Amino acid sequence: MAARKRLLLLIRHSPYGSSLARASLDVALAAAAFDQPLSLLFTGDGVLQLLPGQDSEALGVRNPGRLLASLPLYDIEQVYVDAEAAARYQLDLGAAPVTALALERQQIRELIESHEHLLGF
Amino acid sequence: MTLHTLNASPGSAAFTDCLRMIAAGDVLLLLGDGVYAALAGTGARAQLDACGARLCVLREDATAAGVLERVAGTELIDIDGFVALSEQFPRQLAWY
Repeated sequence: MAARKRLLLLIRHSPYGSSLARASLDVALAAAAFDQPLSLLFTGDGVLQLLPGQDSEALGVRNPGRLLASLPLYDIEQVYVDAEAAARYQLDLGAAPVTALALERQQIRELIESHEHLLGF
Repeated sequence: MTLHTLNASPGSAAFTDCLRMIAAGDVLLLLGDGVYAALAGTGARAQLDACGARLCVLREDATAAGVLERVAGTELIDIDGFVALSEQFPRQLAWY
């Protein structure tokens, strides 16, 4: 049997500026529900989803930070973050809602090459 | 080897993010608002020329935008060419 194709989600948008952040997490959970091999990469403004202490209650929208914290429960453990993008925003990855492995540019290119399906959000 | 499609103008985050992820041996196809990044003599075009990827522009979109005569040095492809490219590459990544 051929190896299953692997899916990489590139998350590039901030959490509340559009519905893309929410959509990317919906795709992640749907893929995980069907046991599809899945990786997440936070890059560009997408790293802002990793800010700790998000409270979106007054906005009346769901808090993606809380959802991110639940990813390990769905066996989504391949979570990566663009080190350069995180540094641009002075992010403390140790305090992020989910554990994400920081990758340099060359490592990100290798990550892309190791997946067959790429979806950008 | 990745086929990148960029459908966003040079002022966008998508343009910047895309440039960082492109590797030698990749193809970058500019379509939609992405065709403006191919304008000869611009800073954006210089960045694309330096990125090491083969640079293609979707002819239909360049024609619509009025830039067809201003993208010299790029490879113009039509929709059929786009389909052919997508068949050649094992993966595709859309930047928008």
